[in-house]
Amino acid sequence: MELAALEWKVGGQQGEGIDSTGEILARTLFRYGYYVTTYRQFESRIKGGHTDFKVRATPTPTHFHGDKVDILVGFDDETLPVHRSELKPGAVVILEGDGTKVTEEDGYTLAVFPLKAIATELGNPLAKNMIALGITGGLISLPREAFYHFIEEQFKRKGADVISSNKRAVDRGYEIAQEHLAHKVKTLPAREIDPNRLYLSGNEAIAFGAYMAGLTFLSAYPITPASEIMEWLAAKLPKRGGAVMQVEDEIAGITFAIGASFAGARAMTTSSGPGIALKTEAIALAGESETPVVVVDVQRAGPSTGMPTRHEQGDLNHLLHAAHGDFPRIVLYPSSVEDAFYLAAEALNLAEIYQTVVFLVSDLGLGMNKQTTPRFDPRRVEIRRGKIVSEEEAKALGEFFFKRYRLTEDGISPRPLPGNPYAVALTSSNEHREDGHIDETIEARNAQMEKRMRKLTGLRIQNPFYVDHPDAATLLVAVGSARGPVEEAAAALREEGYDVGTLFLQQLAPLPVEELRTLLVGRHVITVEHNYTGQLLGWLRRHLPIHEHSTAITQYDGRPFFAERIVREAKERIADEHRAERAHA
Amino acid sequence: MSIAPSAPTLKDYRGDVNTWCPGCGHFGVLAALQRALVNLKIPPHEVINVSGIGCSSKVPEYMRSYGFHSLHGRALPIAQGAKMGAKDLHVIVTGGDGDGYGIGGNHFLHAVRRNMDITYVVMDNGVYSLTKGQTSPTSPLGFVTRTTVYGNKERPLDALSVAIAAGGTFVAQGFSGDVKRLTEILERAIQHKGFALVNVLSPCVTYNKVLTYDYYKEHLVTVEEPFPTREEAIRFVKEHRGLVHGILYVDPETPDYQTALGYELRTREIPEGPMDEALLRELEEEFR
Ligand SMILES: Cc1ncc(C[n+]2csc(CCOP(=O)(O)OP(=O)(O)O)c2C)c(N)n1
Repeated sequence: MELAALEWKVGGQQGEGIDSTGEILARTLFRYGYYVTTYRQFESRIKGGHTDFKVRATPTPTHFHGDKVDILVGFDDETLPVHRSELKPGAVVILEGDGTKVTEEDGYTLAVFPLKAIATELGNPLAKNMIALGITGGLISLPREAFYHFIEEQFKRKGADVISSNKRAVDRGYEIAQEHLAHKVKTLPAREIDPNRLYLSGNEAIAFGAYMAGLTFLSAYPITPASEIMEWLAAKLPKRGGAVMQVEDEIAGITFAIGASFAGARAMTTSSGPGIALKTEAIALAGESETPVVVVDVQRAGPSTGMPTRHEQGDLNHLLHAAHGDFPRIVLYPSSVEDAFYLAAEALNLAEIYQTVVFLVSDLGLGMNKQTTPRFDPRRVEIRRGKIVSEEEAKALGEFFFKRYRLTEDGISPRPLPGNPYAVALTSSNEHREDGHIDETIEARNAQMEKRMRKLTGLRIQNPFYVDHPDAATLLVAVGSARGPVEEAAAALREEGYDVGTLFLQQLAPLPVEELRTLLVGRHVITVEHNYTGQLLGWLRRHLPIHEHSTAITQYDGRPFFAERIVREAKERIADEHRAERAHA
Repeated sequence: MSIAPSAPTLKDYRGDVNTWCPGCGHFGVLAALQRALVNLKIPPHEVINVSGIGCSSKVPEYMRSYGFHSLHGRALPIAQGAKMGAKDLHVIVTGGDGDGYGIGGNHFLHAVRRNMDITYVVMDNGVYSLTKGQTSPTSPLGFVTRTTVYGNKERPLDALSVAIAAGGTFVAQGFSGDVKRLTEILERAIQHKGFALVNVLSPCVTYNKVLTYDYYKEHLVTVEEPFPTREEAIRFVKEHRGLVHGILYVDPETPDYQTALGYELRTREIPEGPMDEALLRELEEEFR
């Protein structure tokens, strides 16, 4: 029998190698040609506490790790009770236990094996995970060589003994599947091995995209789930003469970046909610002083320290409004790992072109999980630094105090880099004249404020949003990692005859109001968001007369959406809307 | 006065109209700093002057050079970032005791231990002046202000000892009533390769009637030569309750941050145009 796709999950206690087990299967399936999406759940402690790792392998592209499970592997007592409701009919549950026992339960097969004892017998107690992977491979008829490649690569440095004991463990798993679970063996759908694919997380994509776009300086303070970005770059930036600095706090994180950018570097800072809160004063500084800076927020569940390792999209209101006073800001939110790469590159360009703060928003679901992604196209985003004044241009102007804040029609003033002999200039957080010196006269204030606010007029990024079935009666609207489950929910709804489309917004500020007007106004809009209050719907309502019956499907439990839940709720909202329409008529 | 002087004069360093109170100690600091730069033949376009917020932090307004008049307490991280962006320029930070030791205290400690090659001039008047006379971290015990109506109960911060103990590689104290000596100290500080703290006792004639010119003239003890050890330097500062004047401690051995990095920073070199396809393909291997 053939599976439509494989949905696999492993659970256990933190520190037991759950992540690496999941990662090996995910990578193996990726190498073997499947589109792989993953989701890791973990707790804010190093050892102990239940953790799980979901892997979904499909023959076609997707942004979602799926609702359900075909094979569940459990190394602790919590795995089965916590995940039982996710089991598909006919699923296999492989548990670590005292003896060997295979039983048919209500709707699933329970297979208990003494994995650790078997591994010990094979001479490597750590290889129990490899046995479980072997059983998995046997259950889906995956050639065992697929695992061999990985083992050879992974344990290259540990020597031939470790490699062969791990291979033996995988073999043993295949044998166990044959002996005890032959009746459950299935095959995976055919797939194509395509060399033009990558497998990476949103955090890696942001780091990689920023690197390719010429980032030379990153200063930040560690915080989950954003730290991986600085960690990846810490190894790379020195190679091009750049630097990553782990500084004393988040305030230093952004102010170092602003200082470096002012002096001519391409600079970025990364954080999550609590750290972004600390950065707000300096965000306004970037606005008033017109210094480029990119601020990445990989959101986690708040408020305050909230749930540090759980998923949420609760910072939107903050990012759209953060800091005192009025100033232009750009807020970008990739909705896939692929877009995380391009938007990171675009964010660095826009910060320098418009000389202001650019928020690059992500969330734990997008940041920490991996997806199969097409290889990147280096031609999609060109590196552009905006109006930097050359020595010749400055010399021709001949100004003793260079007009750093020159009043221009497009609102952007040519920016000198310190060291330019003809453009000695003052950059200021105080309101100023064109030459940067303090000036609070009505004329100076209004001219400078209007100049700054003018500069983002008409700004459009490459893909401000993605829309599918734009003419549908109901549009499901989402951002970030909610895209995956929403896409699948919409497809399921259409299959049932519902007239729904989807819209995934990537440019939140300035909001592309005119294009959105034709798409959203007069239509039933349902936003699908990971927060309590429906922040995305609120933002849309603030700019557009969104239909009064529009609602938000919200979730704030720290876990990702199930597509099934979106389908169920969307049906209810659509029914409610019809009732309301009829009552109106 | 020329746009890009090779031999700068004081005129090249003249900034905007000054609004400090007549008699303000900060005038002396500004004059000494401008003189030091002229004496060292450093032209204005090779200087980045970063300040926070406060009366003292107005130096970038009043002195012509590349300047960044930034946020209260954040001058040091901005300045260190700027040094990472423009490694060959002289980065000089000017600000007040409130700015540097109050709101910016944490940054101060970390800047000292990081030892970037910048010069930090704290214009210490023992009071918050721009906000009209509240107590500061260096106000004396018992100091009466609008926020310490019954007298200041917190002991003044001994920034010199803190900086020396925290690993400061150049720690000095100047007095704005002695511009000549202050100029010499600042020249040495700017030439020092590493983080140089110059705390300048700079009387506020409007809000501080305790730490006055006369008070300092009466009490200041001059240090002729830096002390050979941190311990001796700290002991001297403690013995004279901080009323000392000169370069206290210099450590020429410890490398500055950029030297310690061990490679050449090229943070301003960002080629425009398409992404480097070969590099992209090479790095992609990690994700295949
Ligand atoms: C975040 C923030 N808090 C408070 C202020 C108000 N403020 C401006 S200057 C200043 C104190 C200045 O004192 P100091 O740094 O000692 O400099 P002085 O004016 O005495 O030279 C304060 C509290 C501010 N600008 N920003």
